[in-house]
Amino acid sequence: MSDYFKRLLKDPTSFHDAPYDQAFTLTIEQIGQLHLEGARKRFIGLRPGLSVLDKLAREQGIEAIETIDDIAPLLFPHTVYKSYPLSYLERARFDKLTKWLGGLTTTDISNIDATGIESIDDWLDLLDAETPLTVAHTSGTTGKLSFVPRTKEQWRQTIVHSATIIRDWWGHGSGPDILKDKMPIIIPGYRYGAAAAQRGNGIQVDLYAGGEDNALFMYPDARFSADVASLAGRLRAAEARGEAGIGDIPQILLDRRESLLELEQRRPEDVRHFFEEAQRRFGGKDVYVTAMWAILFDWAEEGLKRGIKNIFGPDSVLLTGGGKKGKDMPDNWRDQVLEFLGFTNFYEMYATSEMMGLCIKCEYDHYHVPPVIVPFLLDPQTGVPLPRKDGTVGRFAGLDLMPNTYWAGLITGDEVRMSGWETTCACGRTGPYVHPEIRRYSEAEGGDDRIVCAGAPEAHDRALEFLAELSM
Amino acid sequence: MPDEFRVPLIIRGEIIDDAAVEHGGRRGGVSFRAPDIARHVGKLTLRTPSHMADLYTLSFEQILDYLVELGTRLDFDTNPHVREAFRLSCITSGLSDSILRFHYARLGTMFNRAGMRAMVERSCGVDYLEGWVDQGPGMVPGLTARTRAFGARSIHVIAGNAPIVSILTVIRNALTRSDAVIKLPSNDPLTAVALVCTMVEMAPDHPITRHISVAYWKGGDDAVERAIYDPRGVEKIIAWGGFASVKHITKYLQPGIDLITQDPKMSGTIIGREAFADDATLRSVARRLALDVGAQNQEGCVSARVIYVESGTDADGVARANRLGELTFAALQSLPPHLSTPHKAFDQALKSEIDAARLQDEDYRVYGGKTNEGAVIVSQDDYPVDFSRMLACRVGNIVPIDSFETAVRSVNAYTQTIGIFPEALKEALCDRLAFQGAQRLVSLGGAATMQHNMEKQDAIEPVRRMVKWVTVETADGAMLEALAG
Repeated sequence: MSDYFKRLLKDPTSFHDAPYDQAFTLTIEQIGQLHLEGARKRFIGLRPGLSVLDKLAREQGIEAIETIDDIAPLLFPHTVYKSYPLSYLERARFDKLTKWLGGLTTTDISNIDATGIESIDDWLDLLDAETPLTVAHTSGTTGKLSFVPRTKEQWRQTIVHSATIIRDWWGHGSGPDILKDKMPIIIPGYRYGAAAAQRGNGIQVDLYAGGEDNALFMYPDARFSADVASLAGRLRAAEARGEAGIGDIPQILLDRRESLLELEQRRPEDVRHFFEEAQRRFGGKDVYVTAMWAILFDWAEEGLKRGIKNIFGPDSVLLTGGGKKGKDMPDNWRDQVLEFLGFTNFYEMYATSEMMGLCIKCEYDHYHVPPVIVPFLLDPQTGVPLPRKDGTVGRFAGLDLMPNTYWAGLITGDEVRMSGWETTCACGRTGPYVHPEIRRYSEAEGGDDRIVCAGAPEAHDRALEFLAELSM
Repeated sequence: MPDEFRVPLIIRGEIIDDAAVEHGGRRGGVSFRAPDIARHVGKLTLRTPSHMADLYTLSFEQILDYLVELGTRLDFDTNPHVREAFRLSCITSGLSDSILRFHYARLGTMFNRAGMRAMVERSCGVDYLEGWVDQGPGMVPGLTARTRAFGARSIHVIAGNAPIVSILTVIRNALTRSDAVIKLPSNDPLTAVALVCTMVEMAPDHPITRHISVAYWKGGDDAVERAIYDPRGVEKIIAWGGFASVKHITKYLQPGIDLITQDPKMSGTIIGREAFADDATLRSVARRLALDVGAQNQEGCVSARVIYVESGTDADGVARANRLGELTFAALQSLPPHLSTPHKAFDQALKSEIDAARLQDEDYRVYGGKTNEGAVIVSQDDYPVDFSRMLACRVGNIVPIDSFETAVRSVNAYTQTIGIFPEALKEALCDRLAFQGAQRLVSLGGAATMQHNMEKQDAIEPVRRMVKWVTVETADGAMLEALAG
């Protein structure tokens, strides 16, 4: 038994800085053992301190993990991290929101006094200041914000983990060792905020860039506000409650909706300024860029239009993912992005906000699930786990064993195909992998001409559409 | 592997069934084949208005004769088209086989002579369809006017969640002497086909048969829709459905086309404090509420989703609401199978929300919702669940409130039907609920089981809007000439 394997078996969290390439040399048996023992360890360790997990276990009648499939009924629907009622926000019941969050983490936050808090931003700041947590929220483009109770230590581990992936993904030491050598970081988004995309910024500035001088953000001084991010879901829920609902929306939120429209008008100018800065300060240098594909394409399209290409040095790296996000992009969008950026070394991921581990795409377009994530495919109708058989299609779910203070066992809304159980990927990496064609179940059925008379039309809202774009 | 279905194209009595194009991957994994609409699109709309004249050789009574006879031919046991539509609907519809069988076995009952006549009397008025009706004296002495309702050349983009939509479309088109092209929905492509095939077999050359066409094309197909939505061949578009389907159509709107939208709607319930008078009353209320939530498997716009209950919001009040939730869920499970069953394609996104709500017991009490049996979620505060727009598949949300005022203020323009208990509360609130946007107020239990004057639909009177109101004015020539000075 290798030391590497023994170390993971003993402490799955230690994976965050373990040589990443070695993870994909473990045998299927080792991976299976790691999954089962790791899941047991997390279930036993977390259940007493996590009231929601305890409730689910009681409800499902599961007291012990005998086989890996025993975990499946204990996976949270992804809605659990946003199961608080929106009325908590409208009525400024942040004490209740704190209590709700307390049920999802073993970190004790019961001493937090949230009375008098009126905005999500203030509540998050309070938790930042007085607890070991740095709670991340999702972008909330379609509805409610999820809140994931990650600790400060876990955020740091996440950033170290990404650097380890970049260093080792294409072979041990094949990529830059950003932690050691530092690199300028370029992020076409907000510097501050508690969205998952912003939470790592400070640590990346610190660990990757070695200081603010070596970092560039599109909005270097601004915060991506959770209250603004929550607008879409809150306005929709309020509209569904008629006058009664609209009356409950604080004026300050409605004003913020207006300010989004102003920001949208300024957007082309902001993008142009960001380009100029990127070129002026970091043109030709090797840099670290992280952004979703859709926003990179916007950036590239604008740049190429103005004749700018090969903007960065050839040994730069890009950490990305996210697909087209419903944007209308030409077939060669990827080529355009790479032509503009001037380098081809990119790391493309499939990930969820609740997990710390990432599934990175190999040269055969397969997303490799790291051994600390226990992946499941569930029957989309019954939720029953499907056998670990290559080529199986189902609802993707997984338990990430790295987080040790909250339950990172989640059922996604994604339909995926998974292989790697029986035959190893042609790239040589062992273990399960996800095929590239990933789609949301919500997109899978219906289409435009499945017409029903039931429903409530949602008005087209330009401010909220822009918010969706900002949140990418 | 479900077998493949054929959806013919029927243009003014001509049945084209070459199954040239496959449309796959629809709900239930079904695929069907239909003719290539692009090859026939030029014939689909009626570019020559003079061809409407043959409809005016018929009297209203003759049109009724035709429809009544059509009704008798829609027998489930003997009509193969009806059986095929039923067979496909069993796969594509959200309604269970037992509910569909109940509907398809009764397709003919809608073609009731007295019922159809009354529908027209309450909307256009038979005399307006039959001739020019004197409008009485006007502002100008000596000027008289007569008005008549004429049929229009129309496209109907219909909904597919219940077979009644196809039936209403055929009946309304015939009675108003209109010309219809029915754009079939992918969730029920064969019911309208069954009706029109039967018409072709019954009377292939009859003017009513010659003024109805049915076609499937993929909604949003620009090449097809650009050719079809052209004011030279279309005067009115009657579009059911939501943002996406209507948005496609608005691209083609221009002067000369009148768009009548049958927007999607939601329905709800208001239950007054009287429900808690005693246990027997509460049980009766629960049984009636279960009907409003569960009938037609909650597939319709008429189905109740959020239920405001004047139980009070203190601990006793919430306990009362929970008791109603428990009884309602039990009643939901006992509904007869021709009205309601566990949903065969339970919405998994909704299921995720229910599963999370169940773990959040401080805020929600969930009865049922384990698999596909349906659920009653009782909010433990006076707020509906945040996913109220998703409520479907027999899932209702009971919201305890202190006063019905909260319920009244929650009604908006998307609210169609409200089931109310007791009757006195309905009488007291009906004007106010109408201001707020509600369109149909019914006795609790009557939301999704029965319906009077369906032609008022969503308070927009689509039948009156489907016709063109043409006026003939007559004045004395000398009087007119005098105006010339």
